[in-house]
Amino acid sequence: MSTSNRIGRRAALAGLAGAAVAPAARAQAPVSLRLFTGGQQRPDVMRRILDVFQERNPGIRAEVEVGGATSDQQQQYLNTVLASRDSALDVVLIDVIRPAQWAAARWAEPLDAYLGAERDAIMARYLPAYREANIVGGRVMALPYFADAQFLYFRRDLLAKHQVAPPTTWDELSAGAQKILAAEAAANPSLRGFATAGAPIEGTVCSFLVPLWGMGGTLTDAQGKLALNPAQAQRALALWSDLRAKNVTPANLAEIATDRIRVDMQAGNLIFAMQWGYAWNRFQNDADSQVKDRIGVVPLPSFAGNAPATCVGGWQLAVSAFSKNKEAAAKLVRFLSSPEVSKMQAIAASHLPVFPEVYEDAEVLAANPWFRDARAVVLGARARPVTPRYAEVSEAIRTSMNGFLAGTRTADQALADMTQRLTPVLR
Amino acid sequence: MARLRVGPLERAERRLGYALLAPALLLLSAVVLYPIATLLWTSTQQLHLAQPWLEGFVGWENYDRAMDDPRFWSALGVTLIYVGVTVPGAILCGLGLALLANLPFRVKWPVRLGLLLPWALPLVFAGLIFRWFFEYEQGVVNAVLRLFGAEPLRWLSTPDLAFISTSTAIVWKSSSFVALVLLAGLQAIPSSLYEAAAVDGASAWQRFRHVTLPMLRPAIVVALIFRTITAIQTFDIPYAMTGGGPGHSTETLAMYVHRTTIDVLDFGYGSALAALMFLLSLALTSLYIRQTRRDEGTG
Repeated sequence: MSTSNRIGRRAALAGLAGAAVAPAARAQAPVSLRLFTGGQQRPDVMRRILDVFQERNPGIRAEVEVGGATSDQQQQYLNTVLASRDSALDVVLIDVIRPAQWAAARWAEPLDAYLGAERDAIMARYLPAYREANIVGGRVMALPYFADAQFLYFRRDLLAKHQVAPPTTWDELSAGAQKILAAEAAANPSLRGFATAGAPIEGTVCSFLVPLWGMGGTLTDAQGKLALNPAQAQRALALWSDLRAKNVTPANLAEIATDRIRVDMQAGNLIFAMQWGYAWNRFQNDADSQVKDRIGVVPLPSFAGNAPATCVGGWQLAVSAFSKNKEAAAKLVRFLSSPEVSKMQAIAASHLPVFPEVYEDAEVLAANPWFRDARAVVLGARARPVTPRYAEVSEAIRTSMNGFLAGTRTADQALADMTQRLTPVLR
Repeated sequence: MARLRVGPLERAERRLGYALLAPALLLLSAVVLYPIATLLWTSTQQLHLAQPWLEGFVGWENYDRAMDDPRFWSALGVTLIYVGVTVPGAILCGLGLALLANLPFRVKWPVRLGLLLPWALPLVFAGLIFRWFFEYEQGVVNAVLRLFGAEPLRWLSTPDLAFISTSTAIVWKSSSFVALVLLAGLQAIPSSLYEAAAVDGASAWQRFRHVTLPMLRPAIVVALIFRTITAIQTFDIPYAMTGGGPGHSTETLAMYVHRTTIDVLDFGYGSALAALMFLLSLALTSLYIRQTRRDEGTG
């Protein structure tokens, strides 16, 4: 008997049992839901939003379980919970790269039935990238919680002091960083020019794709087959080796994970960073922030003559296929994926909205002046390859990139490794 | 040889013996034999949760794949180097610690506590602590280097240095266990032997070489077996310190198994890799066991 059959049968049994018990239970004890989120996705803000939900739905209690700091650490934990078909989690916040894998493994409850006749109307309201990311094989596997893309964060005060304009090309960034570093080295020896993720983590996949796309290159063709042009990929990697050679990036770039960049910038030790949207709110509101009101956010630089590129990020709400309270879980997910909550998150956590109109909301713009230009960036962001075997794709790219950034593999070797490992997966 | 006649009383006793053994046997089957059998069975399957439609029996295919997988060989090499470096390292440091702890201190508990603490610390914590030691910008080690005017080193993202820093952490963590085992061995050596050696005019080194070491041999073999098995399973400390990086230059077999099963969800291939790792432990420990058997035969 195959696993999928077993899962199907169990789900069916659980459904029957649930149907029989639900009416009686609803009258007595409140339904208790458990929601999983990552430590970096602001569980504190999620808690506040859940309190609102509980107030409006007295029959449902929702608690938050906080997972690891990086997308990979969270998924490792979730893999063990879901591969063993544990019913402990009802709603799970998943990275935008995961719905295809969750659909293939049958871990997410398809939400079409819960959306009912309004399904198409509901899905039409989201930004297109998020509508597409969450519909796998014609079925809605999850609903968007917040959008994300990578932006260029910069130190407004330092750029103004040294008369450097916010860069629009990578060359300008390199020149500007060198100029500021030379002048500021005496005042702050810990100051570094630019950082992006380089540790063997998910974020490092984007450190490869952003310059590749920026060159007009692509990883996969329209059929999802590997279509990496070696010459283009070489030039993409040369961006990082050039910045390293000019001492713009930290020597230990290969050890740097996403949130470390935020910490370094928050401590006042970074001029430029390629970073996701969440960081803005931390810079502005954290008690230990040294850079409040000194940070600017613009689209990532481009290569002269090309359009800038950025990765689609963001987090989706899936209902676990093993949940015993799917009805209530789906209700919670619909609430969390509403324009109202999108706005709450935008103000409280600088999470980018998944609804186009929320970008124009006056209160949202007051909290995040840079959202005015952010919608265009999110609309232009590109998706990482969509495949159930994304974990293998990511692993091949990030470990090859990590070896390259550490200087232990040449660009040639890193690309050869990557191609050799991607070819059997992306075919 | 003709079977001896067994009386009814003995038969009853024998039955009682089996009955008394049964719970232990059942428990062992449930927690040891069953998982191993399941692992071996899974290793002959195509079982990849991201591709559930391909499931089925594939025989030796997963093992063939490992033989052609450069990453398997690289992980095997890294594991063997860890065994080769951290096992002798831990035995030497552990022996030194045990000899120190065996000195006639007036107050014994601080020494014992010092020995026990690293052993009681969870492996991942040890890894995280050492990661901060070797961190590039804020780490203690680089701070000392800067103090002496030297250039800071990228301890965690240069392959050789990453290997040295993780091995240091492993030796620190595991030598206390070795020391505990050896200390027990040291205390079992009768003092009359040392007195006799002293009467014969043996120097301190000669007493160590000809009394302590031979008497300690069984304890050393036990420590070696335990340390070797745990070294083959090295996972937590490199995982916490380098994540296998840079590239996969510090990725051990156990880490590759974990990646394959937990990250990639390829349970079939991951089980084959785990089975190969099991074979490696079996092969290395059987060497020691044969050695001890020979000792028993001659001694």
